[in-house]
Amino acid sequence: MTAVENRPAPVLSTTPVEWVRERLFPNVASSIVTLLLLPVLIYVGYRAVLFVAVNGRWEVVTRNLTLFMQGTFPRDEQWRIVAQIMCMAFALGVGASTAASAAADRAREAGLPVARQQPLEVVRRFWPLIAFVLVLLYFASTVTPWLVVLGTLALFLLGTAARFLTASFRNVGWLLMALSVIAGFQVVSGTTGRSWVAAAVVVLIALWTSVGLEGLDRLPRLAARVGLSVLAAAIVFGVYTLIPLSGVGWDRWSGLHLTLWVSALAIVLSFPLGLLLALARRSTLPALRMLSTGYIELIRGVPLITLLFMGQYILGFMLPAGSNPSSITRAIAAITLFTAAYVAEIVRGGLQSLPYGQTEAAQALGLPPAKSMRLIILPQALRAVIPAMVGQFISLFKDTSLLYILAINEFLGVRSLVHAQPDFRSVAHAETLVFVAFGYWAFAYAMSRESQRLERRLRVGI
Amino acid sequence: MSNESSTQAYADATRAKGDALIEVSGVDKYFGDFQALKDININVGIREVVVVIGPSGSGKSTLIRCINRLEKHDRGTIVVDGIALSEDIRNIQEVRRETGMVFQQFNLFPHLTVIENITLAPREVRRLPKREAESLAMEMLERVKIPEQAHKYPGQLSGGQQQRVAIARSLAMKPKVMLFDEPTSALDPEMIKEVLDVMVELAEGGMTMIVVTHEMGFARAVADRVVFMSDGQIVEVGTPEHFFTDPREDRTKLFLSQIL
Repeated sequence: MTAVENRPAPVLSTTPVEWVRERLFPNVASSIVTLLLLPVLIYVGYRAVLFVAVNGRWEVVTRNLTLFMQGTFPRDEQWRIVAQIMCMAFALGVGASTAASAAADRAREAGLPVARQQPLEVVRRFWPLIAFVLVLLYFASTVTPWLVVLGTLALFLLGTAARFLTASFRNVGWLLMALSVIAGFQVVSGTTGRSWVAAAVVVLIALWTSVGLEGLDRLPRLAARVGLSVLAAAIVFGVYTLIPLSGVGWDRWSGLHLTLWVSALAIVLSFPLGLLLALARRSTLPALRMLSTGYIELIRGVPLITLLFMGQYILGFMLPAGSNPSSITRAIAAITLFTAAYVAEIVRGGLQSLPYGQTEAAQALGLPPAKSMRLIILPQALRAVIPAMVGQFISLFKDTSLLYILAINEFLGVRSLVHAQPDFRSVAHAETLVFVAFGYWAFAYAMSRESQRLERRLRVGI
Repeated sequence: MSNESSTQAYADATRAKGDALIEVSGVDKYFGDFQALKDININVGIREVVVVIGPSGSGKSTLIRCINRLEKHDRGTIVVDGIALSEDIRNIQEVRRETGMVFQQFNLFPHLTVIENITLAPREVRRLPKREAESLAMEMLERVKIPEQAHKYPGQLSGGQQQRVAIARSLAMKPKVMLFDEPTSALDPEMIKEVLDVMVELAEGGMTMIVVTHEMGFARAVADRVVFMSDGQIVEVGTPEHFFTDPREDRTKLFLSQIL
């Protein structure tokens, strides 16, 4: 046998000419396809650019920008929405810094280098949303949108400055974030009459964030959690009852503002409901299993639009007399009930994908079934179904446009108001449609990218 | 040797030397129509190492899986440390707390780091505070000789390392008995030794162990008694010397001739 001489690894660099030759004209058949498709693509691209940059009459959008964003929300209450955006920016900042310190802690514990945040990372992650904001600013005719964007950035940075706090008390960070989200919601909706809802939400959040609080290990953990939650709830309840805030109820919200809130609420509510349904469907109790299976199959057999109409016209008969939820509340309920059935099936798929050995290992260690589910099975199952779950939520987000048919003026529905204006009654619908489509795409694509990122990050362990 | 005394010898052999930690008597187990265990009688004493061998499908794994109730037996009684296994979930939990199990496929929790894998049960079942659980986990990792892997994820470890983590995870519950279900069968040959070494040390440290394995070298070196199973029955029980030099039953002889 003779030894093969060492050779340098082949250099894999391609010049643009080589790239074109390899990718577009590798052989006769591909060359023909390229020659046929290239003109089509160039022509379509040319027409698109021509429409957007030259022929499009964007005045119909620019003059109605406020309408698209907040719809018929009372103009003299507009400061509420601005305040809400600021609260959300602050919450995002706190959340980002808390997540960063959590990641840094994990890396340090594992003896790995702490990954530095690249300055352009945010741009790369959220470029669809940033593009949407830039378009809004480009269309803006007043200084308000610029001020809002600047204020948003400032409050985001202020939120990240909370790092000195969240670095050592991570749960405090999550709690702060949740509280500013609630504050953002309440500053628009007002607090009168809803204090018990807020109190309940706070109890849930406090319960959740106090799970694993350092130093509580020695106390009976459940008692500590319940105590903390009751305390937090009492404070919130007291504050709300003593200082009722006026506001604009969500039956008067519209535009993109409404679309985002309906989507967020339906996502947040349908996830736990779907989870419970999935667990019920796998329960050993026949009654529970049959109920859950029946519900899932019933809902999945009915179109969403039917459920939405049923929510508007039939729900009233099933509720106690006197309660008359607004049509937006009914719509959120319908979308939530619909999505929960799909979430349940997605989660069930995740549960089934796990090898049975995981359950057996948990049993053999003496973990009771509930803990084995919560600590071993669910974390892995949910991780496995992130893509399907986010896909379902993206589709929920886009399906909120069906509210248009119920005469609710969400982001798409606003168009009918625009085209009812004397100035724009006779203009083509193309510009408004393209603008609205762009808005939906920006949010949906950002969600999709975040889900892919989450997937990559969580795959580390597996 | 007369037939009678041979039966007597068998009965003696199934009995543990000192006090019995595990008493299995008259156990039957069915999977549908198939009888996986037929009238199993075996006691295991404190600090005793029992190795169970036999062809595949002979019921070895089923037997030890019945001991911590991963499988439910259909007839007979199983008593672990004075607790009789019954339908009562509290009994089962109590037995599982005292019983460690190591699986062929490791079954580590892939979403948790090594140290989280080990501290999970002590914290959640034994209610140990986090710091105590962690120092206990490090102690166990020292015992299986991979303390430096504490913060890695199972997927980043070799098969042998994973199995040693699985052993450490079981040991962290301070079990009274360790059950090993073919712990080296899924390993590459060069990793078998590192796992067996850990098991030998464990046995020398006085742990009560029941080991289902095909590693005859381990059986010969470590076992106090060897149990040979075939077709769901215990065919022969004896000391390793007796077992490997002078097996009495034809089925044992046939099996040994095939594998040695």
